[in-house]
Amino acid sequence: MEEVSQADPSHLLQYLDSILDSDPFINEVGFIHPSQFLALNEEAAAPVSEELSAANSSDMVFWHRDHKLGISTQYLVPLYKAAKCAFMAAVGRYNDSNLSAESGEKNVSSLQDLCAVQVMKRSRALLLLTSDFGTAWNYRKLMILREPHVSTYMDELGFSKLVLSYSPKSECAWSHRRWVIKKISGNCLNLQEIVENESDLVKLIAEKSKMNYRAWNHRCWLVSYMSSEQVKHEITSSRVWAGLNVADNSCFHYRSRLMLRMLEGLRTKQGSKAVSSDNAEYYKIYKEELDWNETLIKRYIGREALWLYRRFLSLFWVDQFAIVDADALAHINQTPISTGEIKTFLDNEVQLFYSCQGYSNNDFEDYQAQATFSATYMLWITRHFSQYAGFELIMKLRLRDLQEVLDKYCPERSFLWDFLRTP
Amino acid sequence: MGELEADKHVRYIMEVEKRKDDFEYVVTEHLRINGAYWGLTTIDILGKLDVADKEEVVSWVMKCQHESGGFGGNIGHDPHLVTTLNAVQILALFDSINVLDIDKVSNYIVGLQNEDGSFSGDIWGEIDTRFSYVAICCISLLRCLDKINVEKAVNYIVSCKNLDGGFGCIPGAESHAGQIFCCVGALAITGCLHHVDKDLLGWWLCERQVKSGGLNGRPEKLPDVCYSWWVLSSLTMIDRVHWIDKEKLLRFILDCQDKENGGISDRPDDAVDVFHTYFGVAGLSLLEYPKLKAIDPAYALPVDVVNRIFFK
Ligand SMILES: [Zn+2]
Repeated sequence: MEEVSQADPSHLLQYLDSILDSDPFINEVGFIHPSQFLALNEEAAAPVSEELSAANSSDMVFWHRDHKLGISTQYLVPLYKAAKCAFMAAVGRYNDSNLSAESGEKNVSSLQDLCAVQVMKRSRALLLLTSDFGTAWNYRKLMILREPHVSTYMDELGFSKLVLSYSPKSECAWSHRRWVIKKISGNCLNLQEIVENESDLVKLIAEKSKMNYRAWNHRCWLVSYMSSEQVKHEITSSRVWAGLNVADNSCFHYRSRLMLRMLEGLRTKQGSKAVSSDNAEYYKIYKEELDWNETLIKRYIGREALWLYRRFLSLFWVDQFAIVDADALAHINQTPISTGEIKTFLDNEVQLFYSCQGYSNNDFEDYQAQATFSATYMLWITRHFSQYAGFELIMKLRLRDLQEVLDKYCPERSFLWDFLRTP
Repeated sequence: MGELEADKHVRYIMEVEKRKDDFEYVVTEHLRINGAYWGLTTIDILGKLDVADKEEVVSWVMKCQHESGGFGGNIGHDPHLVTTLNAVQILALFDSINVLDIDKVSNYIVGLQNEDGSFSGDIWGEIDTRFSYVAICCISLLRCLDKINVEKAVNYIVSCKNLDGGFGCIPGAESHAGQIFCCVGALAITGCLHHVDKDLLGWWLCERQVKSGGLNGRPEKLPDVCYSWWVLSSLTMIDRVHWIDKEKLLRFILDCQDKENGGISDRPDDAVDVFHTYFGVAGLSLLEYPKLKAIDPAYALPVDVVNRIFFK
């Protein structure tokens, strides 16, 4: 270790470049504390590859095996400094070559190409050390635009995926992907396939990096590029994941985005021709979602995200299906929900509320949370359903119980109660 | 309950610049202007801006300007709307906006507005309501809000409103306290808060307060001092601060101080940083903690700095 710390940082950078050049299939990068190197080597069942078993001191800076690359945290600072310096120098040379070209010098295009290759190489090392160095991402975009081939764009998706492997929240890396997709979306035959891969990537990353807003935001962004078949497929295929990650609000928001998108799709379609079978199918998907949510609420006690999703579903239901405006009705060819249906729905919600109070003497935090969430959920229902006929009748006797629960579990939310009662 | 360790926080911030070999410091050099804005605003709220070298700061900020008129995060870095706002905010702190070529900077901002009213963060086209806020806040501080299409900008922000009353970064994106601050702030600056359902949004925001008194930014997340700013400033702008337990929040923020070496962390006993030190102190200012300058919830600058610009 001693030797390396005194070694020229540019050698470290060269070594990093040579690893990256030698293995184009690296799929994961991570920063490793020196003490972890030993453990990593012992863990490896197969004989350690030569470059690692050799007593070469630089082995302790990098760990490379099975297309995984580990970088010692001890050398990050000198490595970063060398990488940044090299990148800035490459950018400087590239800009100079541009100036020469502009001033009419001959035979500079091959020089420009060379400089561009260097910019790509230098930005690669730099971004694997610091993922949100915006200028480096920008220069990559600039270099790609010099010769925009689909394969180059696809390489960028690969590279930013590698960056996301060590920095799953990197805003720049996610944004770079969107830039690439926007660029190729116009003339790309397999856009649907790319969108599908993107969606899978988010799923993969969300597995390791929980409640990652940037990742889920990317998936929501993808929805506008999805075909209606894909939207339907996503609703079905992402259900299992959501059921296993009930605390992840983002995945439920994603589902709400998909539901809304489906509806948008229906509306545009119906602009020309009414298709009532689509409506029926849509309503069925919606009902399944509502029932499934209730099952999860009962299985996983006190999960805020589940209750918030139910708020969405209930409001969505009354907003989208309980349309009383005749014009709107004729336009979307859909029967409004009857007063009877609203009554059935409210009855069900009231029952759900009471089922969450059964264990009110229990001291466990989760059960208290469940009681609180069910009560604020009923407040939500009160706010959004009070204009419907029959509401008063169903809720009248229950309002006192509701207030009792609120007073007991969340007295600090009493103002909500107040503002709801004074219209 | 402990007190605010004001002097230690000032010292902590002034010494951050000296930790040049710290990995975190080194790899965030592309964001230096952002950190400078946080640090300097904190010091100003604490009433100690004179410890900073005005000449040095202003000349460094001006070196971050790009020929396009925008500012980068540091010398030699590409310009971006976010870092451009930070530059203008820092200059505002030092009453030095007059060193700017206002036309040049405002033209840079105007050039990033899109047909639908949204703003791209830079020439590469990423769109986000954060950039709408940054553009509106910045161009308003330059006193030429009318150079952008305000109506379209507002409409775009309104199109990012969700059924829960919150806002996301693009239409259909999940509500997030940081994005809500941006959207509410932009609507406040443009005088369009009537587009916000204050009760509904206030409800969502006050549910960010967890048992410990701290605020989180999204459902099921841990509380974090930075949301003392994003959530609290939003609640202030829509006049619903009384919907949270202020006393408990105050205690949570004070518990996140490093009482020995200064600085504030995201949660009690975590490592401190400048970012959370700013959000903690700014949050305390909104909670009217004694001896702190009042902060403007929309411009994220001390009220006297904002007044100096608009009532000169
Ligand atoms: Zn934070």
